[in-house]
Amino acid sequence: MSHAATDAHAAHDDAHHHGPQGVGIYVSVAVALVFLTSLSYVTNLPVWDAVVGDSVAIKRIWMMGVSCTKAMLVIMFFMHLKWEANWKWVLTIPASLMSLFLVLMLVPDVGKRMEHASYERLKYAAELTPEEADEVEDEGEIYHTDGDH
Amino acid sequence: MSDHDSHGDGHHHAGFDYQPSLPIPNGKLCMWLFLSTEIMFFAGLLGAYIVLRFGAPAWPSTHDVHLVEYLGAINTAVLIGSSITIVLALEAAKRNNASNAKGWMVLTLTLGCVFLGIKAFEYNAKFSHGIYPALPHSQIYEKPDVRYAQAVRLRLADLKLQLQTTKTELENQLAEAGGASEAIQAQIDEVNDKLAVHDEIAPELDAIEQLFRENPESTSVGAVEARKKLTLLANRIYPRASLQGHGSEEAAVEHEEPAAKAASTGRPQIMLVSTEAPAADHGDDHAAGYNDQHPWLELPIMIPGGNLWASTYFLVTGFHAIHVIVGLIAFVILLTKTLGANMAGTIENVGLYWHFVDLVWIFLFPLLYLF
Repeated sequence: MSHAATDAHAAHDDAHHHGPQGVGIYVSVAVALVFLTSLSYVTNLPVWDAVVGDSVAIKRIWMMGVSCTKAMLVIMFFMHLKWEANWKWVLTIPASLMSLFLVLMLVPDVGKRMEHASYERLKYAAELTPEEADEVEDEGEIYHTDGDH
Repeated sequence: MSDHDSHGDGHHHAGFDYQPSLPIPNGKLCMWLFLSTEIMFFAGLLGAYIVLRFGAPAWPSTHDVHLVEYLGAINTAVLIGSSITIVLALEAAKRNNASNAKGWMVLTLTLGCVFLGIKAFEYNAKFSHGIYPALPHSQIYEKPDVRYAQAVRLRLADLKLQLQTTKTELENQLAEAGGASEAIQAQIDEVNDKLAVHDEIAPELDAIEQLFRENPESTSVGAVEARKKLTLLANRIYPRASLQGHGSEEAAVEHEEPAAKAASTGRPQIMLVSTEAPAADHGDDHAAGYNDQHPWLELPIMIPGGNLWASTYFLVTGFHAIHVIVGLIAFVILLTKTLGANMAGTIENVGLYWHFVDLVWIFLFPLLYLF
């Protein structure tokens, strides 16, 4: 208990001594954020295709990397987490992990829902690739034959 | 043993071993707890969007659904700007400079309103094309099948009935006026023009429905032909940007068909469907279809994956917009007070919330506009 108390005090003092100094840092973070936004936007321009190529996967990884960088800048500087004590981890890490698990748990049932879809689902699906369309039509014939006879 | 250490600390009264669990004010702790639930809330929404989208058999391209990338980028910059102004308001309040703090707060409020204004403009661009998240307003159909053909036919029949009723009324009025009213005659001419547009589309649709009826087996050559013709018609009602100018065979067919048809019918007003000319009033490279040329038509449109797109887009951006509105209400309440050093804690908490709203948009922008 005494240890925790001392820690808390130390951290508190830390926050006072190493807090943000002036508005300059905020302005530079904002400039960096706008610059990073333009780095995302550039994937949409012809110049990206000319220099990097038109791989969609690379564009998406790049954009997510840029977004995560921007998110870290906002969280660290604007939300002052850079200068906060260790309590920040207690709130942010479990929430982030649960968010990640939530998305991953959606993948088998929702994300892969079209991989082994029923005939009914495929029949009313938006638009099918040619291979999928062949499959449906084959199944459809079987379905109708079974139904009729 | 803790008593002994606390004594040495010098911060506490003797024998009083009270120690807050976290070295931050309760309000800030509550805001952070709230934000951690908000992280999971938006993770659910964004996760649903990502998972639904990448599991979908078809997904519209951004220009198919009138998303304009630069508007999204501007909105990102606007939110970043409002994030820095709220931080500057906090810094001013900490220095007890209330008037400066209020100035920054007003600027934050203004930028938040600009964001919502651009968002409303974007929503309107969708609504005006019949893109809604749900019935009864949604005009989106997913594929060129008999249901889509039926929807178009019902809308055309409805239009024809309306137009003929109007025409009869106008002709009666003209007869009463002794056949000499130029104003009524002009109205009749207008109705006749609309009927001409109707008569141009209806026979083509009838032929397609006939083909569907004659070929009930979906695998037959006739049914495939009917779907192809309906796809072409759908693309002239609502041209999808993703089908144009990619040099594919299908795109080439799309490109030739309207011109050839217009040449054979000799009706220039129907030739308005140009797959090349961008519509000036849109700001994106969406070609003008029947629905754009004749806004009164309001024919059902075909966007594969469009319904799921609309549901997720409006859900995610709508919840984000609600968060923006809540933030703006908080700013308005703060503006009624003197923003001195005693308010710094409150401004910090509202600021944390506002930065979180910014954070969500940082992920929404690339996911919705650029992916």
